[in-house]
Amino acid sequence: MSVDKASSVDDEDRKKNRYHFDRHTPEYREKFESITQDMHARCPIAWSDTYGGHWVAAGASEVFELARSSDKVSNDHDVKGERRGYQGIMIPPQPRAKGSRGGFLEMDPPEQRYYRQALNPYLSPAAINRWIPFIDEVVRACIDEKIESGSIDFVDDLANVVPAVFTLAMMGIPLKNWEIYNEPTHAAVYTPPNSPDIVRVGKLHQAMREDLARQLAEIKANPRPGLVDALARFEIDGEQPPDDELLGVLGLIIGGGFDTTTALTAHALEWLSQHPDERARLSRERDSLLDSATEEFLRFYTPAPGDGRTISQDCEMAGTEFKEGDRLWLSWAMANRDASVFPEPNTIDLARKGNRHYAFGIGIHRCIGSNVARTVFKRMLIQVLDRIPDYHCDPEGAVHYDTIGVIQGMRKLPADFTPGSPLGPGLDETLEVLQRSCDEQRLAEPVTSRKTEARIAR
Amino acid sequence: MKVQVDEARCQGHTLCAMIAPHVFELDDVDGHSSPISADVPAGAEDKVREAAGSCPEQAISIS
Repeated sequence: MSVDKASSVDDEDRKKNRYHFDRHTPEYREKFESITQDMHARCPIAWSDTYGGHWVAAGASEVFELARSSDKVSNDHDVKGERRGYQGIMIPPQPRAKGSRGGFLEMDPPEQRYYRQALNPYLSPAAINRWIPFIDEVVRACIDEKIESGSIDFVDDLANVVPAVFTLAMMGIPLKNWEIYNEPTHAAVYTPPNSPDIVRVGKLHQAMREDLARQLAEIKANPRPGLVDALARFEIDGEQPPDDELLGVLGLIIGGGFDTTTALTAHALEWLSQHPDERARLSRERDSLLDSATEEFLRFYTPAPGDGRTISQDCEMAGTEFKEGDRLWLSWAMANRDASVFPEPNTIDLARKGNRHYAFGIGIHRCIGSNVARTVFKRMLIQVLDRIPDYHCDPEGAVHYDTIGVIQGMRKLPADFTPGSPLGPGLDETLEVLQRSCDEQRLAEPVTSRKTEARIAR
Repeated sequence: MKVQVDEARCQGHTLCAMIAPHVFELDDVDGHSSPISADVPAGAEDKVREAAGSCPEQAISIS
């Protein structure tokens, strides 16, 4: 009895910095800046009673230390109860993810490292740079579809399409299948479980999972290059992981590759519409500003706002006493607004220096698609600035996600602009041409096998 | 000025090579950074300081 009492007193003591933190409420989105400031001032690490109780790391130095301590902080999602029953990176656990592990983002080393080593040669800067002509052609076709009309929805007509098509291209999945993957991937994030639309979204998701399983089986039987093939051939200690594990990795690539880049692009285009002088400056000084502006949009809008973790041993970190099994939320988004690292953190400065932001995570789980995200974002932005430089987003039509607990995204971003002339064929015809390029040039080979840039015939 | 990238800390964020492309090179396979030469070329000192300050993993040291 007395031991229990002592430990519960200890527990009260180590959890003395408390904050009611619920990132899944619309209120968190509306009051993000004031909540962030409050937490930075009072409790850069806090205990929250929400979702079964968990720690929240909001301060930059606290998030930095915890995210870099993979020996004491686990990503494991033990879906079959074979290890210590850890819940992976979702707080609370997502019903849709029940029973399946979210790829290597829900694994610890060394397993996690083996997967990344297999996929890195497809996703490194050198690997992604080879694809630039391909990406540019998809962007060109998306804009051409709309340029004569003088209006576009940047989410539906551009920022959803390019990341989806390009992700499938890298995977080795037929480009024309992009619509099977597009809606369910975005809708799974923005559709709450109590929505009347949830059944329809669930069916779309099921169809996507079936296509993914079909692609994996097909590529296992008849190899063609890409990320799916890398996984189809992947072994740890001479053994192939079961298909459900590989499908979890493929789901991670799709989930990571689609909605995040869409979110970044839509937010940046919206901000640039609201700041036309800054837009003109960015276009004019792109050689010196494009990189820093991209990093600044990443910092400010942090599409993936954080990750869950589980403490894997009793320890003290960042001035806090943790117990094995404690759950932890690492907020990249709040760390990115810490004034001790980012002066005037709530202001967008396209030329910001020393921008060591957390948008892709910190530590061994750094977003493996970070080079994809940056490249796709920049190629979309440049063509928008060049081809429809006077676009104006309709504030009435813009739809942001109701909550920012999973992705800080947008559903709609309609805009008007001075009409122009198309430069080439529309999207469907373009995807046929690009599919032939993928097949003939084996574009989805890893950079270790193919160094040359894609050649796009038109 | 000398510059080092701590291999164990670098996670391939690539900001250093964006800021100082003549000083840092990225591995083709995993994008991790290393200095092209430990000696910083004359005139590149400011950019190298900026790169060190921009590294999300704080993996770059200057001496």
